[in-house]
Amino acid sequence: MFALALRLARTRLTASLAVFVAVLGGAAIVTGTGVLAESGLRSHLPVDRLAGAEVVVSADQTVRPSADLAVALPERGRVPATLVDELGRLPGVDAAVADVGFPAAVLDAEGDVVGTADPVTAGHGWSSVGLLDDPEVTGTAPTGPEEVAVDAAIAAAAGVGPGDPVRVVLAGRASDARISAVVPAGAGVLVDDDRAVQLAGRPDTVDLIGLQVAGDAQAVADAVRPLLPAGTIVSTGDARGDVSLPEVAAARSLLVVLASSLTGVPLLIVGFVVAGALTVSIGGQRRELALLRAIGTTPRQLRRLVAGQAAVVAAVALVPGIALGYLLAGQFRRLLVQIGELPDALPLTVGPLPALAAAALLLLVVQVAARSATWRTSREPVTQLLAESRTGPRTSSRGRYRAGLLLIAAALPLAVPPLLAQSPIGAASTSLAGIVAAIGLAMAGPTLLRRVTGGLARRLPAGTSAPGWLAVANLHGYAMRSAGAITTLAMAVVFVLTYTFAQTTVIDATTEETRAGTLADTTVVAPALGGIPAGLLGEVQAVPGVEAVAPVSSTTVLWPERLLGEEELTAGPALVLPPAGAAVLDLGVREGDLADLTGATVAVGSGGARARDVGLGDQVQLTLGDGAPVAARVVAVYDRELGFGPVVLSADLAAGHTTGGLADSLLVRTDGDPATDRALAGLTDRPGVTVSGGGVAGDRPAAPPEVWINLAVIGVLLGYLLLGIANALVAATAQRRGEIATLRLTGTTPRQVRTMMRREAALVSGAAVAAGVLVSAVPLALLGLGFLGRPWPSGPGWLLPVTALVVIGIAFLAIELPTRSALRVPPGDALASQG
Amino acid sequence: MSTALAPATTVAVALSRVTKTHPHGVRALDDVTVEVPRGSFLAVMGPSGSGKSTLLQVAAGLDTPTSGEVLLDGTAIGGLDETRRTELRRDRIGFVFQAYNLLPALTVAENITLPLRLAGKSLDRVWVQYLVDRVGLGDRLDHRPAELSGGQQQRAAIARALVARPAVVFADEPTGALDLHSAAEVLDLLRDLVDDLGQTVVLVTHDPAAAARAHRALVMADGRVVDTLEQPTAADLAGRLVALREG
Repeated sequence: MFALALRLARTRLTASLAVFVAVLGGAAIVTGTGVLAESGLRSHLPVDRLAGAEVVVSADQTVRPSADLAVALPERGRVPATLVDELGRLPGVDAAVADVGFPAAVLDAEGDVVGTADPVTAGHGWSSVGLLDDPEVTGTAPTGPEEVAVDAAIAAAAGVGPGDPVRVVLAGRASDARISAVVPAGAGVLVDDDRAVQLAGRPDTVDLIGLQVAGDAQAVADAVRPLLPAGTIVSTGDARGDVSLPEVAAARSLLVVLASSLTGVPLLIVGFVVAGALTVSIGGQRRELALLRAIGTTPRQLRRLVAGQAAVVAAVALVPGIALGYLLAGQFRRLLVQIGELPDALPLTVGPLPALAAAALLLLVVQVAARSATWRTSREPVTQLLAESRTGPRTSSRGRYRAGLLLIAAALPLAVPPLLAQSPIGAASTSLAGIVAAIGLAMAGPTLLRRVTGGLARRLPAGTSAPGWLAVANLHGYAMRSAGAITTLAMAVVFVLTYTFAQTTVIDATTEETRAGTLADTTVVAPALGGIPAGLLGEVQAVPGVEAVAPVSSTTVLWPERLLGEEELTAGPALVLPPAGAAVLDLGVREGDLADLTGATVAVGSGGARARDVGLGDQVQLTLGDGAPVAARVVAVYDRELGFGPVVLSADLAAGHTTGGLADSLLVRTDGDPATDRALAGLTDRPGVTVSGGGVAGDRPAAPPEVWINLAVIGVLLGYLLLGIANALVAATAQRRGEIATLRLTGTTPRQVRTMMRREAALVSGAAVAAGVLVSAVPLALLGLGFLGRPWPSGPGWLLPVTALVVIGIAFLAIELPTRSALRVPPGDALASQG
Repeated sequence: MSTALAPATTVAVALSRVTKTHPHGVRALDDVTVEVPRGSFLAVMGPSGSGKSTLLQVAAGLDTPTSGEVLLDGTAIGGLDETRRTELRRDRIGFVFQAYNLLPALTVAENITLPLRLAGKSLDRVWVQYLVDRVGLGDRLDHRPAELSGGQQQRAAIARALVARPAVVFADEPTGALDLHSAAEVLDLLRDLVDDLGQTVVLVTHDPAAAARAHRALVMADGRVVDTLEQPTAADLAGRLVALREG
């Protein structure tokens, strides 16, 4: 059976090629997504600064609300300082090194800030040298407020060495100091331990404790574990890398979110393309299959044979496909790093799991698709099959038609969420609704097409040319085949329109809300210093013409929500605002007052509040970014949730729960006088300070990162979809050689054949664009209503015409090229080789 | 009706010293000279590989000879491009094939009138009606080929071959896929067309019983015409073929 399957696969090369390409691309996409997901779950940051401590004790930076995926916390959680001595006394522990981090920056001779990897925690206590793998120190430990030690990279960049004077900004305060020592690169800026605790501002806690262990690290880890308070964890080996920079480690969870938000749609598309290619390939073998049935192959055997044949082709395609998937994931990581969504330090985990998953998944899709495509051929009486083998089935089943219409109807409720929730998740359902409707269209397609072309054929004007008349007759007579081409192309149109417009609409709606809600006209930031330095707020306030200033930060909170009866906990962005924030940001407050944001208080977005049944004056339970559970009173409910996020924390509530403790930015509202702008621009004299026009709340981007990433993903998926479609079309056209030869023997000139095929291409692509637009219209109208209050989406105007052109171009090329090649064979030979 | 087919010349198809060599050096036709007079019924016989199908393809302008000349209804085929040859075929030749080769997407009526539509000619309703009645498909015009029996499909193909009033009808094993009864019907139909309408027919077959309907039969072997029999009988032809096989 296998040998026969192999032979059949070889004789139908074009059709097999379509399956090959579909599986190859599918395997690449599934593997790539898998690598991202696995990296999100299992990749580790390099151990770097903690390499000298075999065992590391730190706060647990993850929250596990239930059996669900753990949620990563980006703000540093702390451990009690009392643990340091306790752990240091344990047998097997040579030393316990406490580490605290604080914002620190070093200025060079010109007064410019020397770049460090993470200015927010570049500062540490001297004893943290003990965490390094290679504690090679040139100089002596810093003592008192006048001395600092710097690592070799900083020393080189600043052009200083031991004994030199240097200007530093520690925890936002600038001062003059002397370099007491240079330590190995990666250690940051070091001050004496007491001063470090003082600068970090938390006398009773430390960031982490590194244990130097001579013997078995694992044994020590086991001994340490029972001594720890809840919420504290022990890390050894590679896992230590993750606790060194919680913010970076939390970014890793983006990969999981990304992969899981992706999987649905790519899987649907891969299944669609592979099934389409198989249907064409099996359609081309109808005669062989009918003959096999005629010589006594049972329906079961026939299905096994076809499935086996498809599996052979798929297996061959899986190898390069999976390899391509790993490359694709690498490219994708590079893109994420480039747009700043993923830290460069985070590597991908390259394991065999994604490859296995892709292989299993695609083989399953291929099996199901091959067996269902053969279902009809394997079940019908042999005589009918032999008659049909020359003509193709005339009609599709009524059941299929009804199921298709049902699916189109079922897509409607899927398109409703944007009306209820103005969030990227709400918008995502728009694309899903479009694609589900497109699949319904594919099922109902043949019957619909037969009805439409039947009407068209009757209404053709008498003067219609023979090729045009033939084209319509072909679409009508080969409704199954033609509908296959039309609906796959329509799927591409639906995919592009719903997916892209869903993203661009969210971007535009978000940007618009942010713009409308930002009263500030100037933003002051100091990222190189780890945050806004002390005193800058006062200096800005003192500038004549400044009407209001507020320090603004962004952090992460977890706000539990009951979804379908289950408690869902996802990390969401949150603004941190002082009471003065109301003067620079207009969040569209509908109840309460942002001026009340003092103490344990929050403001919440109206949508999120409605979903959680929370109102003004209620207490809400939140988990802050460092894992601390807090209860806060709602003092305001606002509308501009899309632009500013679902939660705003009072500065008092967030204090002590962020890694660095300094504000991200100062939002400034001025009187608009150019003189004021000039005075503010003068602030850039301060090292590390940047002043820019236009207010941006915190470092919150204009649109959530998923939106940009989704747009990038569209490109990859679309390329795959179009390739699959072109392939299937070429294969389907190549199978029409017999029909073309017959036409020529009946007196059709090559030119007439080409004209006929072009008319068909025009009808097919025209119908595809029309059907695609129709199917997308309702989801996009609802999307527009939900986000923009008008029944159409926002996005580039060229998208529809360009999509239409691409679809038309592909249909023409995929039909024209095999037609030309068919016309090169003399018609007599073509018929003879047809069998 | 017969006036419509009045001959302009007395010879419908003429091949003179035609040789056809295939790219691999196989000589499919070797210096063949044949004349088919108007209104005559010629059968071409021979075993597989004797060159009879090549003869048909060259004579019908489907393929070009390596050397020699082919005159189709007075027009030399040599030097015409594919489009010209297609137009010539459309105007002067009708084809009937073993596999019927009707277009599945079209109804019987649409299949039959397709050559006229392609040539942009107006429909002669009387003529079409006459043909449809003659092949006995008057009640099947709106059916698709898949809904017809093999014999019915072949009769539809014959009507299609005749619709443009061709100078010659070439039939390539037209009964090869049919049962005995349907085959006899189709052969009778072809002979009647010759007798009643004066239609020129060239029939390629390996079946002596089929060839026996012709006025004249050529026997081919190895690309050459090895024998010509006038008013052949099935027994004569069978004997010639057996002799060829043994010789």
